[in-house]
Amino acid sequence: MSQRLRQRIGQSIRSGKKLLSLFVTAGFPDPELTVDIILACDKAGVDFIELGMPFSDPIADGPVIQKASDIALQKGMTINRILNMVKTVRNQSSIPIILMGYVNPVFQTGFEPFFARCAEAGVDGLILPDWPPEESTRFTDLLNQYDLDLIHLIAPNTPLERIKQIDQHSKAFVYCTAYTGVTGKDSHTSNGIESFLSTLREHLNNPFLVGFGIKSAEDFNYYSGFSAGCIVGSAFIKTIENIRQQEIDEKVKEFVHRIRYGPETG
Amino acid sequence: MMIKRQSKEWPDARGYFGRFGGQFIPEVLRPALNELHHAYLMFKDDPQFQSELLAELSDYAGRPTPLYFARNLTSHYGRAKIYLKREDLAHTGAHKINNTIGQILLAKRMGKKRIIAETGAGQHGVATATVAAKYGLQCCIYMGEEDMARQQPNVMRMKMLGAEVRAVHTGTKTLKDATNEALRDWLTNVKTTHYIIGSVVGPHPFPMMVRDFQSIIGKEVLEQIRSKQISLPDYLVACVGGGSNAMGLFYPFLPYENVKLIGVEAEGLGLSSGQHAASLTAGRPGIFHGMLTYLLQDENGQIRLPYSISAGLDYPGVGAEHSFLMESKRASYHSVTDRQALWAAYVLTRLEGIIPALESAHALAYLEELMPRTTEQQTVVVNLSGRGDKDMDTYIRHLNDFEQVLKTIRIGNTL
Repeated sequence: MSQRLRQRIGQSIRSGKKLLSLFVTAGFPDPELTVDIILACDKAGVDFIELGMPFSDPIADGPVIQKASDIALQKGMTINRILNMVKTVRNQSSIPIILMGYVNPVFQTGFEPFFARCAEAGVDGLILPDWPPEESTRFTDLLNQYDLDLIHLIAPNTPLERIKQIDQHSKAFVYCTAYTGVTGKDSHTSNGIESFLSTLREHLNNPFLVGFGIKSAEDFNYYSGFSAGCIVGSAFIKTIENIRQQEIDEKVKEFVHRIRYGPETG
Repeated sequence: MMIKRQSKEWPDARGYFGRFGGQFIPEVLRPALNELHHAYLMFKDDPQFQSELLAELSDYAGRPTPLYFARNLTSHYGRAKIYLKREDLAHTGAHKINNTIGQILLAKRMGKKRIIAETGAGQHGVATATVAAKYGLQCCIYMGEEDMARQQPNVMRMKMLGAEVRAVHTGTKTLKDATNEALRDWLTNVKTTHYIIGSVVGPHPFPMMVRDFQSIIGKEVLEQIRSKQISLPDYLVACVGGGSNAMGLFYPFLPYENVKLIGVEAEGLGLSSGQHAASLTAGRPGIFHGMLTYLLQDENGQIRLPYSISAGLDYPGVGAEHSFLMESKRASYHSVTDRQALWAAYVLTRLEGIIPALESAHALAYLEELMPRTTEQQTVVVNLSGRGDKDMDTYIRHLNDFEQVLKTIRIGNTL
């Protein structure tokens, strides 16, 4: 039910509040904790969740998410178990959930069966970085039929013509990376990012969020200044690395506060 | 012999060979792939580029490599004539140099300052470090920790050539993970850096481009075999990891449908053991490293850990065009075990005085199965893709297991 995602983004933009999305690898640090982590995010005011589907060879990810992915796989995560987690969340929460992963496990499930099961479980959207528009546009009707938003990525080296093309193929929002590279690096190293973000603001019809390397209120405020909000992944994964069941609510709340407003303030 | 020709040229505009191939890549690599594609199409038919490439291949790489009639090996089997395409005699000791020369000439023209590559056996790493030294480009080679241990001489060669060798500690610490790390580097440094992929794998245009650069092997064989008064060989045999030496040999022969193309994969400890690298023989289609192709994977689509005694074949995927050639039945693919490959390496060494690379030994090992089906009027060409210096530790370690049988072979069947 992707209206959930589009509504949430629309409301935020109208109210002027910047969106915060957190990425969590399904099954990390333990499959028993994932549902609680998502529910805690909802309670802490996170706008939507990117639920990572672990893959053996995550080429677009840095060391933090690679490791989380490995651990989740060792603990037996599969697409079936991830969809069951989403179903469990749906009994208690309407926080929009986007599944993010690599295309091969989806391809093995079969595109249509996978979409159908996502829709049934209550998934709102998909991000598959290695499934670009060239390969995915022939599935647009099918995605619409199951009301799933396919979110595409663009990077600071994406040419304007291509940006416009991706914008046309996008629903809900466009995911812009803060630099060219893998997840979880320092986002301040990118040259010419301001003019790039301004270009996006000028030319995109869809709202866009910025992700990759966002780890502080400083980053959040900076990138939100240009965009509808930010996506935080590696920094959150580090925070939940050794988390215990009873401290989930508190730690997640603390983290969300730290990203939105900075550390140690009331 | 009747010569049949097929007409369709692959890949298509989207980079597909039938249903295989494509460009399954993060958006950040799109500009680089487009740039590479345009540069390649522009220079491919540019006379100046071609003459520079041909001059380098001949004067620097030592081409054409000989097509050698293996008289003793032929009488050992007593059937078809066996010819060896001596890629082991090319500069740096393997066919890999054909591709790295082509790609570095492109990289220079695209104004790239830095070269990266992945390597398994180290042959592609050495071939890349070699051309980077010659053309004065900064060079960084990703190599699995496990492979660095089993291919020490090549690690030292790369270092002497001035390349930085980055050890990869993730996953299986072999070629798959070295490729992941090289891709991550490319994602990060895409503006300044060209990634010289070492095989006919990865997103379009790599499988096409690497095939084209390697097809010098098959073109030479076509000419050389005719100069020996043979119109066409009956069989071409080559080992397949990613499959670049096989593709290079096969490609010019694709139109000649009577020439049977045989790829030989690494069966490791045997298909039933699960410890192998036979993607075509025992895998199924999937999407990995930018392409749709046959892969070793579990039921959930996670990539499985391949295994082979030969570091150059230890890869869970295979070039997309091989998947296409297999499904369209233009080529057939088989597999041989570690032990069969070792045996074939010792046999060739004793009979012909040539120490083959362990990778190439897989192609030779298939002769045990193929030769009894051939006749004396027929011709088999085996691609001897590389030399065995880098594998000496492995060969010496296993030599005792085979020594007794080897003695009988030489005296009994050959002299």
